[in-house]
Order: sequence, then C-alpha cells, then structure tokens
Amino acid sequence: MKKLILYIPILLVFIFSSCEEVVNIDLEESEPRLVIEASIVWFKGTRGNEQSIKLSETSPFYEEELIPVENASVKITAQDGEEFVFAYDLNGNYVNTGFDPDLNQSYQLEIIYEDQVYTASEKLISVTPLDYVEQTESGGFSGTDIEIKAYYTDPAEEQNYYLFKFRDDDLSLEIYEDEFTNGNQIFGYYSNDDIKAEDLIEIQIQGISKSYYEYLFILRSQVGSSDGGPFETMPATVKGNIINQTNPDNYPFGYFRLSEADSTFYNVE
Amino acid sequence: MKFRYLALLLLFLFFNSTVNAQQLYTLNGVITDASSNETLIGVNLLVPEASTGVVTNDYGYYSIKLPQGEYEIEISYIGYQSIQKTINLDSNQKLDFQLTEASESLDEVVITSDIEGLNIRKPEMSVNKLSISTIQKLPVVFGEVDVVRSLLLLPGVSNAGEGSSGFNVRGGAVDQNLILLDEATIYNSSHLFGLFSVFNPDAIKDLKLYKGGIPAKYGGRVSSVLDIYQRDGNSKEFKMQGGIGAISSRLLAEGPIVKDKGSFLIGGRSSYAHLFLKLTDNENSAYFYDLNTKLSYNLDDRNKLLLSGYFGRDVFNISQNFENTYGNAVLNLRWNHIFSDNIFTNLSVIYSDYYYGLNLNFVGFNWDSGIKNLNIKYDFNHYINDNLQLKYGMQNTYYEFNPGEIKPIDEDSGINYFKLTNKYAFENAVYLSAEHRLSDKFSAEYGLRLSTFLRLGQDEINVYEDNHPVEYDAERDIYREADILETVESSRSEVLKAYNNFEPRIALAYTLDENQSIKASYNRMAQYLHLISNTSSPTPLDVWAPSGSFIKPQVLDQYAVGYFRNFKENEFSLEVEGFYKDIDNRIDYIDGANLIANNAIERVVLNGESRAYGMELLLRKNTGRLTGWLAYTLSKSEQRTPGRTAIEPGINNGNWYNTNYDKTHDLSMTGSYELNRKWQLNANFIFQTGLATTYPNAQYEYEGINIPVYGERNGDRLPSYHRLDLSATYEPGVKEGKKVESFWTFGLYNVYNRQNAYSISFRENSDTGENEAVRLSLFGIIPSVTYNFKF
Repeated sequence: MKKLILYIPILLVFIFSSCEEVVNIDLEESEPRLVIEASIVWFKGTRGNEQSIKLSETSPFYEEELIPVENASVKITAQDGEEFVFAYDLNGNYVNTGFDPDLNQSYQLEIIYEDQVYTASEKLISVTPLDYVEQTESGGFSGTDIEIKAYYTDPAEEQNYYLFKFRDDDLSLEIYEDEFTNGNQIFGYYSNDDIKAEDLIEIQIQGISKSYYEYLFILRSQVGSSDGGPFETMPATVKGNIINQTNPDNYPFGYFRLSEADSTFYNVE
Repeated sequence: MKFRYLALLLLFLFFNSTVNAQQLYTLNGVITDASSNETLIGVNLLVPEASTGVVTNDYGYYSIKLPQGEYEIEISYIGYQSIQKTINLDSNQKLDFQLTEASESLDEVVITSDIEGLNIRKPEMSVNKLSISTIQKLPVVFGEVDVVRSLLLLPGVSNAGEGSSGFNVRGGAVDQNLILLDEATIYNSSHLFGLFSVFNPDAIKDLKLYKGGIPAKYGGRVSSVLDIYQRDGNSKEFKMQGGIGAISSRLLAEGPIVKDKGSFLIGGRSSYAHLFLKLTDNENSAYFYDLNTKLSYNLDDRNKLLLSGYFGRDVFNISQNFENTYGNAVLNLRWNHIFSDNIFTNLSVIYSDYYYGLNLNFVGFNWDSGIKNLNIKYDFNHYINDNLQLKYGMQNTYYEFNPGEIKPIDEDSGINYFKLTNKYAFENAVYLSAEHRLSDKFSAEYGLRLSTFLRLGQDEINVYEDNHPVEYDAERDIYREADILETVESSRSEVLKAYNNFEPRIALAYTLDENQSIKASYNRMAQYLHLISNTSSPTPLDVWAPSGSFIKPQVLDQYAVGYFRNFKENEFSLEVEGFYKDIDNRIDYIDGANLIANNAIERVVLNGESRAYGMELLLRKNTGRLTGWLAYTLSKSEQRTPGRTAIEPGINNGNWYNTNYDKTHDLSMTGSYELNRKWQLNANFIFQTGLATTYPNAQYEYEGINIPVYGERNGDRLPSYHRLDLSATYEPGVKEGKKVESFWTFGLYNVYNRQNAYSISFRENSDTGENEAVRLSLFGIIPSVTYNFKF
C-alpha cells in the first residue's frame, strides 16, 4: 500500500515525453564479496525436504555472469539439534534432500568459506493460503493494462509480513505488511503492460519475518522499477542477517530465511 | 554571558545616537504609483543637503527626521520618473508622493539618480531583488514566466536539477527557505512537482530574497527568506490583464471599490487539463490552478486594511484509479496603523494551510494529510532619527500537523481506517532590530530575536527504552526502529518539550568611497519544523514534522563578507561575497526508512549536521540598451550524521557527503537587448557542475533479480549541465483610440538541444538481460509563444 503512493513522481517522467538513452559510464570496481541466497521455502502440501542454498560472489556491474562459489561447507542446524548438510551440486547451488521443516522452529545456518565462518539464525514463518485470483483491466497509465490481484486473508491476531512472487516473462517481487489491512481479505497486486492474454503467471505467497521484510524493503529500493531522478531515495548498503564471525568487515550480501509458501498458476484471459 | 555583552553594545549604540539633540521635524508619508495608487516598496527618498535618506517599507511608507530648514528632496525608483521637490520643513509634515512610470522609450532621458548609491551605504547584503518586469522578459521553459525559475539565475541559488521542486540557497535544503506571500508562510512553492512555482507573476508587486544577513524580523527557517508581496489593486480605474501561454493562461482584474480609497484585485491562473495526456486517448488529466485575491482599503490617513488570499491546487487523475490533489491556501488580514509620525505598525492575522490528498480507488482508500497554522504578527517600524530606525515586534504561530489519515472508500475495501497522531505546537518570537548609521562611512543593522517553540501534548506519545527511538544492531551493523514500550496520552495544554533560542543578527557596511563598500554579516537562526523527505528533492506528499523530544531544532550560524562596487556612474555594479554556514541538528534517515504513513518518524531519523561555504560573484549592467548580469557561484554543500556512540557507524559511516543539490560551479549569464521600440531580445546561458549522485561498483544476483552494489554516498557526479535559451519580446504599441496594450514573447529553450542528464539510472535491459546505464533527459529544445494583454 505504502509503495503505491510512491508511484506518483513517475508521472512527471511520463508527462514530459522525456528522452532515455543508454550511455557509457565508467564505473569503479569494488572487491568481490560473498553472496548467500539461503531461502528455505516450504510449499503447502509438500514435504519440503528438497532445499538448496546458493553461494556466489559479486561481480563488476557490467559483467553479470554468475561467479559461483564451489568449495564452501554449508550446514543448517535445527533448534532440536538435527543437522542438515548441504552438498555442492552446480552453479553455486548446495542441496539437501532430507530437510525437515517445522513451523516456528529456529534454525541456524553455518557456512565456512576461505577459512571464514558465516552464521545466521532465523525462524520458519508460516503463511495464510491464497484464496483466489482476480483479473481486471484498468491498470497502468493508459487505464487498460491487465491487473492481477491474488487475494488472501490476513490473520488478525498477529503482525504479518508477506513476500509475493509473480513470474510471467519476468519475475516481480512484491512485499506487504498488515499495518493497515490487519484481519482483512486483501490482495497482492501485479500489473504491467507486458501481461497479455494466454500468459501463464506463477503466483507465490510466502510468510516472512519483520526483519526480512525490512531487508527486502531496502533491497527493492536499490533496484527500483522507476527511473531515478529527484524523487529517488539514496542508495544504501543492504546488509542481511548473515554475520562473518571471523572478520565482520568482510560482511556477506544476502539473507538466511525460512518461509512457508502457497502457490498457484493463473491463466490470463 | 555573550548576550549580556550584546545588550550592553545595543545600549551603547542607542546612547551614542541620541546625544546631539536639536530641533527635529518629521517628514512622513506614502509613495504610490500615479496610475494605480499601488504602494511602492523600496523607493529611495534622498535629502542631499543633509546627506541622508530613507527607503519606503513593505507598505510604501517612509518617515525621516530632519533639522528645521529648507531641503531639496529627490525621490527615485527603478522604472519610474524621479521627482525633485523643495520643501520647507518647519513642522512635522505628512507628504505623500506619486510616481509616474518612466516611458519605455529609449530616446527620452530617464533620470537615473543615485539609485544604487544608497545601497552601497546600507548594511544590507546577500539580498537579491528582481523586478517583475525583469522576470517577465527572461526566456523560460514553455514560455511560462516563473518567479522561482528566475531566482535560479542569481548567484547562490540553485536546485536539485530540472524538474525538481523548490530551490536551494547557499547550499541549504528546500525546506530551509522561508517563503512568505503577503507575510503568510507558503509550505510548498511548486506546481507540477516543481516545474512551475505557485506564484502568479501578474499578481506580484515585489520580491526580495535574503540569502544572508537576515534581519531579526524573520525567523523560523535557517537558509533564506523569500519575501513576496502581492499587488494591492488599482484604486483609480478598472483594469484587466492576462496572458495565453503554452501551459497555462492567466487573467487578472483590478479596480477601485471606492475611488482612491479602496481597491480589489482578483487573479486566476490555470493550466490546461489533459494538456500532455489527451494525446494518448485516455481519461487521465494533470493540471493546476491558483487564485490570488486582495482587497485594500484606506480607512483614513493613518489606517489601512488589507485582506489577501491565495488558493492553489494541483490535480492528477489517472484512469479513475488514482486521484491526487494538493496545494496551499492562505487567508490574511492586515491592519496598517501609523501611531505617530514616526511609528508605523502592521498587525497581521494569517491562516495558512497545506493539503495533500490521495484517492486510490483500486486499492480502496483515501489519504489526507497536511499542516495548518494560525499566525499573529505585530510589527513596528520606529523611525527614531535620520540615523536610527528600529524595527521590533512579535510573532505567534499555532500549528496543527496532520501526518495522515487513511479512510477505506467503502465496506468492501481491504483497508482499515487509521489515523496518524496529530501533533500540535506553538512558535513564538520577539525581536528588536536597528538600522543604524554610526558615521558617514559606517553603518550597521543589528538585532536580536528570541524564539521559543512549545511542543504541545497529543493523543499518543511513544515511550522507548533509554529514550532511543532508533536502535543500533551491532551484530548486523544496521539501524532499525526501536520497539515502542508503551504509549501515553497527554492533554493539549501540556508542554511536552520547550526550546528557546537567542538569535543575534548583525550586518555592517563600511563605505570606502562613493562607489565602493565592504560589508560583513553574521546571523544565527533556528528552525523548528522539518520536512520529512528522504528523496533527492522533496515530493508533494512529504509531511512537515515539528521538533520535540526526539527531533531537535535546526540551528544555523552564517558568516558572510562582501565587496560592493559601482562603476561608470552606476552603469555597472559588482558584488562579491564569501559565506560560511553550519547547521546543527539536520536530520538524516536510516537506510530503508519508510516515511510514508509512518506514525513514529522519530524511529527512522538521526540528528546530524550540515555545512556549506562558497563564493558568489554578481556583475550587473544596469543601464543602456543592453542590460543583464553574470552570476557565478563556487560552493560546497555537505552533510554528515556520525554515530551516537563510538561503536555506531552513523549514516554513510559518519563521513561528510555531498548534498543532493551540491554544485561546485554554477554560472549563469543573462542579457537583454532593446533592438527598437518594438523588439527586445533576451538570452540566458547556464553552466553547472553535474549533481552529486551514487553509481554502483558491483552487482550480484539474489532471488532471481540483479542487485547493484553502490559506492560512497553521492560520491559521483552527473555530467555537466549547460544550455542556452533565447527569447524575443514584441510590443506592437498602442494604436490611436484603442486601449489594449499587448506584447508577445517568443521563446526557444535549450537552443542547441543539449541532452542534459536529469538522472543516470542503472538497470538490466529486459531484452538482452545485460546491465546498462541509462541517461534520462527531460527537456530538449522547446519553442514557445506567449501572448500577454492589458487594458
């Protein structure tokens, strides 16, 4: 909701049929840093035993091929002491097929890479299921874009935070909190002018913690769907919850989180 | 202790000026325009025999004390024919003068007597005045005459890029400008997100921008004062004027209510709805309008009432899904009263508000926010003798802040009603200021303002552990919102937090010879309101927040020195100034601060500081066929927020970083050439260092999206900004028997079509999947035509 209010300044750019051009800007290159994508997602109706964690390194801005990290040791320890070792597969992915997810239980992540130890702990957050999906056609600046609304019912008794993933040709991440919608049936919203009839859109709702919501809030503002300029917020360093215990200054990017999720596929009409 | 010395100094100066008593008489009156009875601000009245003079105040009033005798007095004002008159002063006299506009014709000799001469002597510095007729001739984007855009051509004034809102003075932020329209505070000076300002040029009489040496009369903002006066209206005859432009049209009517005693003025301006949007066959619209009104009435020789109003709105509407309205409203009643021949007073009662409303149909809610204030000011101009003038008065302002209210539009809406806690405050000030000629060569303006700010009780007050609303997580090395321990309530009559500030102001001028002077000034100012905004330039939905227990008032100290010179009998003038200022308690925002609908702003802000320093040069050519100026500013504007304790990093690791509006070099040249009676040619050239920005220095993939990694905050620069604008004004002249005067303005903005960077953004190309840098430029070459008329 809050984010929607922010769409306004983009208007300005629309109004004055401004001119966009790809330009050459020389950029400095910073030292590579470890990136940890430790997202344990347990879909409703599955055992959630197959999980993977992806390790890579940052690369210069214009060179995007993923730099996989291959020789790390990766392990998750549950609150009850059970250990899950993740073995290297390929492309920086480490997998475990015997994971045992348990709602609201705490888990510890430990990664050892180049003699440095990285740790984090987080709870597995539950989520309410998706109720239904609705399609309308009055979105965007033209008022004719297809809009997808994925409804869910927010539980009233607690504070909830949500991550929505909409995958069409591109992937879109939307985050919501229930400050102004507590206990109501409300929707995750997706609209852009590329959505067309016959598209098959994958929709996911994931339960996330407050601190992961805050992390994603900053992360998203770094990427931005808008075009820069006077109404942009200042860039920030996005620090996650994974701590380098050996050398805190050499902090990693990424986050360790565990979410329950529901998903559905929607055929655009 | 410091203030005791200052008080002693003041006493000494008074005493010093009152020792040589002799029989003095007062000459006082009002100076007006002969054709409309409009009062004239800043008219020079010179008494060469006594080598003294006076300048009319904001209401056209002057008063001067002279020894008994016969004097030849000279009255001069830019754009008007000067008057010389011999008077025999053997008693106190009230003498009003009427000035006739100088004919536009070049062949006639227009007396340009010592207009600048007095300014060389006056301690006033760091002040820029622009006449409306100058502003009207400047080439501007879309041909829309604009007050704030014109200010940007002056030294020390800039903004955060084309299409950003407001203006920045000497490295100060947009919310640090006090903008007064007929003494009322304007909270947002922009239409269309900053493309145009809210001031209708037809309704404006005079404007003055104080960048430094700010008199004690003004307070509440730390960076500058833009003091704008609306016209009173013609009390002689009914007149209309207007204009038709590319973006907006204007119409203004004025005339007598009672001839020579009272007048009205009503002016409206509106942009064309659907202007840019209709082309794309949809139901969107974007427009603005504003309305200026004024009634003035002379009750008698000593009393005058003025009622003025302003109402402006911007409206955006997108396909019924989204509706956004915002703007200022001001209503203001003033009473001018002359107590005795040498005491002029003005009492103002002002209501002013700023409203921001949003209707998001597709999500199902309305949003309202705003600020309201009621302000009472009582100002005295006391003319003690020809060497000393005192200004003193008091100002009281009551504020009500509505940070936001969310209302579901119907029962089906998934949004719950929510009201962010209203906040209330009282701001009071008393001031005393003296304009004092200490000797033939030395004059001073000094004063003291005592301001207090009382934050009043409200429904919900959050309590935090150790009084720290922002928490530092040392392990993750991030700041985050602290938990609210409890919420307490307090009554509106209770004072939650009080602040007092002594604000000394002093400006000195030393005349080297008839044409040269040096000046120096110091001022301290306090600002109790903060515009909560973490974008590069403020947006209309930013809310104002009062100081209180957690957010402290901003306090500025500014020092300036200058050298002033007139050349070739005032054909040229040169002003060179250097300044340094620092501001305590400039707030900054923690990473990821969400300011929208945030009921506890204190949980995302940290108190920091800012500073700016620089050099300004203004060379003007005042007379002849070619007039204009060259303005150059070399400056630096920075900000930092260190950690509260040794282990905290603060913001940007506690290092100084460039503000978003920092421009090292800022050069503008403006010229106007009178080709003949009908044609006038104008040109601007602007060159500026590119704005500070932050570029990425790495990237990574996370959850399927590419994330850029940014370097030092504002450590990079956009490419340099430059452009040339041209315009021509054509006045066909008045035909026999016809009363309509008209003129055309033809403009060409950005003549060589420079693609100036509005922003450089970094993104993944959705076709190739590769990262790229994209330059967005807003205005290429833009031709325009505007038609103006008057009858």
